Amino acid sequence: MSVIVLLIVAGSLVAGGFLAAFLWAVESGQFDDTHTPALRVLLDDAVERHSSIGSEGAVHDHTRR
Amino acid sequence: MLAYVAQQDTSTTALFCRHCGDPCDRPVRDGDEVFCCTGCRSVHALLMQEGLDRYYACERPPGVSQRDAALREPDRFAALDDPAAAAPFLEFDDGRIARARIPVPALHCASCVWLLERLWKLQPGVVSSEVDLLRGIVRVTFRPRETTLRAIAERMAALGYEPNLAVERPTGGVPAARRRLYRQIGVAGFAFGNIMLFSIPRYVNGAPLEEGFQRLFDLLNLGFALPVLLFSASDWFRGAWQTLRTRHVTLEFPVALGLTVIFARSVADIALGTGEGFMDSFSGLVFFLLIGRLFQQKTFERMAFDRTYRSFFPLAVRVERDGTCNVVPIERIGAGDVMLVRPHELVPADAVLLDGPGAIDYAFVTGESVPVAVSAGDTVHAGGRVAGHTLRLRALGPASHSRLASLWANPILQAPKTTALANLNDRFGLWFTVCAVAIAVAGAIWWWPDLGMSARVATAVLIIACPCALTMAAPVTLGTALGQLGGRGLFARHPGVVLDLSRIDTIAFDKTGTLTTLSAPALVEHGGLPAADWRLVRAAAAHSVHPISRALAQSGDASGVVSDLVETPGRGLSAVVDGSRVRIGTAEFTGVAADDRPGVTHVSVDGRAGWVRVTVPTRDGIDETVRALSREHDVHLVSGDHDAEAARWQPLFGRGMAFRRTPAGKVEFVRGLQARGRRVLMVGDGLNDAGALAAADVGIAASDATACVVPACDAVIAGDRLRELPAYLRYARRARSVIVLLFVLSMVYNAVALGIALTGALTPLAAAVLMPISSIGTIGGAAGAMRWSARRLLPS
Repeated sequence: MSVIVLLIVAGSLVAGGFLAAFLWAVESGQFDDTHTPALRVLLDDAVERHSSIGSEGAVHDHTRR
Repeated sequence: MLAYVAQQDTSTTALFCRHCGDPCDRPVRDGDEVFCCTGCRSVHALLMQEGLDRYYACERPPGVSQRDAALREPDRFAALDDPAAAAPFLEFDDGRIARARIPVPALHCASCVWLLERLWKLQPGVVSSEVDLLRGIVRVTFRPRETTLRAIAERMAALGYEPNLAVERPTGGVPAARRRLYRQIGVAGFAFGNIMLFSIPRYVNGAPLEEGFQRLFDLLNLGFALPVLLFSASDWFRGAWQTLRTRHVTLEFPVALGLTVIFARSVADIALGTGEGFMDSFSGLVFFLLIGRLFQQKTFERMAFDRTYRSFFPLAVRVERDGTCNVVPIERIGAGDVMLVRPHELVPADAVLLDGPGAIDYAFVTGESVPVAVSAGDTVHAGGRVAGHTLRLRALGPASHSRLASLWANPILQAPKTTALANLNDRFGLWFTVCAVAIAVAGAIWWWPDLGMSARVATAVLIIACPCALTMAAPVTLGTALGQLGGRGLFARHPGVVLDLSRIDTIAFDKTGTLTTLSAPALVEHGGLPAADWRLVRAAAAHSVHPISRALAQSGDASGVVSDLVETPGRGLSAVVDGSRVRIGTAEFTGVAADDRPGVTHVSVDGRAGWVRVTVPTRDGIDETVRALSREHDVHLVSGDHDAEAARWQPLFGRGMAFRRTPAGKVEFVRGLQARGRRVLMVGDGLNDAGALAAADVGIAASDATACVVPACDAVIAGDRLRELPAYLRYARRARSVIVLLFVLSMVYNAVALGIALTGALTPLAAAVLMPISSIGTIGGAAGAMRWSARRLLPS
C-alpha cells in the first residue's frame, strides 16, 4: 500500500506544476484582457504582410506575447 | 465599391456614410463613395492609400464620425510635448524605446482593434501597439527619437480615434487587482481538487479509513486548506474586520464568520481525532465565492461608464506669457497667469475676467445651465464653462485636477443616494448574523450538558448558515441585468440602479432634448425682418445654449462681432451685433407687439420687429412609449419652456404637466412628488435638469452621444433607445422578482439544512454536497434567468 504514498507525492507534484504554470500565466498578463484577442483574429489578412516587408527594411516588432 | 445604402424604418432610402455609417444630411462624394462629412472622407482616403481597406470589412461601417473634427483645436495635444504632461501616460521610457497607455473612448469593434494595432504603418517610429477594447486603452510602444507622444496622439485623432487625455491616468490598479483574484482562484481551485481527492476515499468507504491513511489524508487536507484560508479567503476576513470597525454589519460578516467556524471546527476535529473535518467544503466554498466575485468584476468592466466620467476636465489651457501664447498643462497654472479659455472649455482655476463682457455656464457646479453674464473685473470660478466667445482671464491661484474633481463633491450633484441594494445588504447582514448566532446558541443549549454535541451542533449551524448564496443572489442578478441593458443602450452607473428602477412608480420627463430631439434638424420659420438682419440675430443667438437659440444659430450664417451680451433667464437675450442692438425673447423684453401664435419668439433689431418659430421634432415613437408607461406609472412632463406646446402633450400627460420651470423648479417638482411618497424616475437631457436628475430616485439622461456623460445621472440611455423604456422597466422588475425568488429558495434551503445541523447529523459529506449546490445554483439561476428574460423582454 505504500505505493499510494508515492502516488500522492507524484500527483501533488504534477498538480503543483500546473498551479505554478497557471500563476505564471496570470503574472505574465495573459488574463489581463480576455476580450480583445478574440476580435484580433477576425480581421487578419495577407495584405499587411507584403506591405510591411516593403517598408524600407525597418524592423517592425509586431510579435505579440 | 458601392455606397453604403440602407433601408430605414420609415421605408425611405437614405444615404449612409461609408466611413462611420451615420445618415448623410449633406452627402460628400468621392467617386462612388458617400460620406457624411469631409472629415470622414479624408480618413477613408488615407486608409485606402495605405492599403488598410480591410478596416471596412465589417458589416457596419466602423469609423467614428468626423463631423465635429473641424471644431477641435489643431494644437490640443501640444501640451504632450511637455514631459510633465506626458508623464502620466508613459509606462516606460529609457530614451530609446517608450511605451504609453493612451485612453481612446471611441474604440468599439474589431475594425478599431485591427486599425489601431497597425499604427506602425501610419506613424513612423511606432514599434507596435496593442488595444484593450474593454478598458478603452491603446498601448503604444514607440521610439522617442523618431516620434513623439504628441505626434502619435495627433495621428490617432486624425484617424478618428481621439485620445481622451483628460481621463484620469489609466491606473495599473485594475489589472493588478484582477491578477490577484485570478491567483486566489487558482490556489483555491488547486486546493479544492486535491482535498476532494483525499476526502472521497473516506466517503466511499462509509467509515474512517485505516488509521495511518486517515491521519495522513487529514493532515494533507489541512496543509492544502491553509493557503486557501491565508490567501484566497483573506478578502472576506479583511471585509469583516472593516464592518466590525465601522459597526456597519453587511452580509460579508456572516460569510467570514462561517468560513472561520468551518476552518476552526475542521482543525479541532483533525487535532482531536473526532472526525475528518470539512476542508473540502471550505475550499470548495471559497472557490465558488471567488468565481462569483470574478463574474461580478467582469460585469463591471463591461460598463464603459466610468472611463468617460472625467472627460470634462481640461488637460491644458492657453496662457499668454511674455507676449506669446503657449499651451500649458493646467498643473503649471499659477496666480497671475493670463489664460485664454475658448467656448465650451472649462475654466481650470478661479480667475478674474480681464476683457468683458462674457458668459459662463455653471451647469456642472450648480446644475443651472443658463449662462451667467460676467463683465471685466468679475471673478469667475473654476468649473464654469465658457459660453459665447473666448475669454481672457487672470488666474487667482493654481489649478489642479483634484480641485476640479472636487466639483463632483457638490452637494446637488453628489448627494448620496441610498440605493435599494445597499439597504438590502445592510438590513440583511445584521439580521442574518443575529439569527444564525441565536440558532447556534439555542442548539448548543439544547444539547447541553453534552459538551461535544453542543459544540458540534453550534458549529454546524454556523457553517450551514454561511449566506454564500445570499451574497451572490443580488450582485449576480443585477450584474447580469446591467450587462444585458448595457448591450441594449442603457448604461447604468452601478448595479443598484437596476433595483432602484424596479421600484419606480412615477416618471417625470423633461421635454426639450428628451421627448424632442436635437439630433434631427429643427424646423426654423421666421419673418418680419430683412434677410441681412437675420445674420445679426443668428450671431447673437450663437452665444446662448438655449435650444431655440441653438437651432436658430444653426439655421444659417451666424457671423458677426457680438458685444454687450446679456441673457436674462425666462425673458431673453440682448446683444449688440455689428453695431445693431438685437433682442430675442418675450414680446415685453424685445419691445415689439405681442404675437399670439403659439411657439413664437419675438425678435427686434434696432427696433425693427420680427418673429421666429422653432419647431423641434419629437422623437420617433415617443407617444406610444409614454402611453405604454402611463398604464403602469404616473407620468409627468416638466419643462423649462413656455406652455405653447401644452396642447401637443395634453393627451399623453393629462394634468401632470409643468411648464416654465427653472432648473431649481424642476428639482422642486421632483421633490414634491417624492414628498407624496412617490419613487420618481426623472428622464432628462442633463442640460438644465441636472439637479432634478440627481434629486430623483433614479435619474436617466437621454443622450444622442453616449460618450457625453452627465455627472448627476444614474444612467445614460441612447436617445434612439428611449422608446424602449417600458421594456427596460419591465426587465428591472423582473430582476427584482428573480432576487426575491432566489432569497426565498435560499432561505428554505438553509432552513432544511439547519434542521439537519440541529440534530447533529451534519456530516462532512452532507456539507460537501449541500453547500456548493446552493452557491452554484444561485449563480447559475441568477445569470440564466436574467439572460433568458433579456431575450424575452428586451428588444434586441
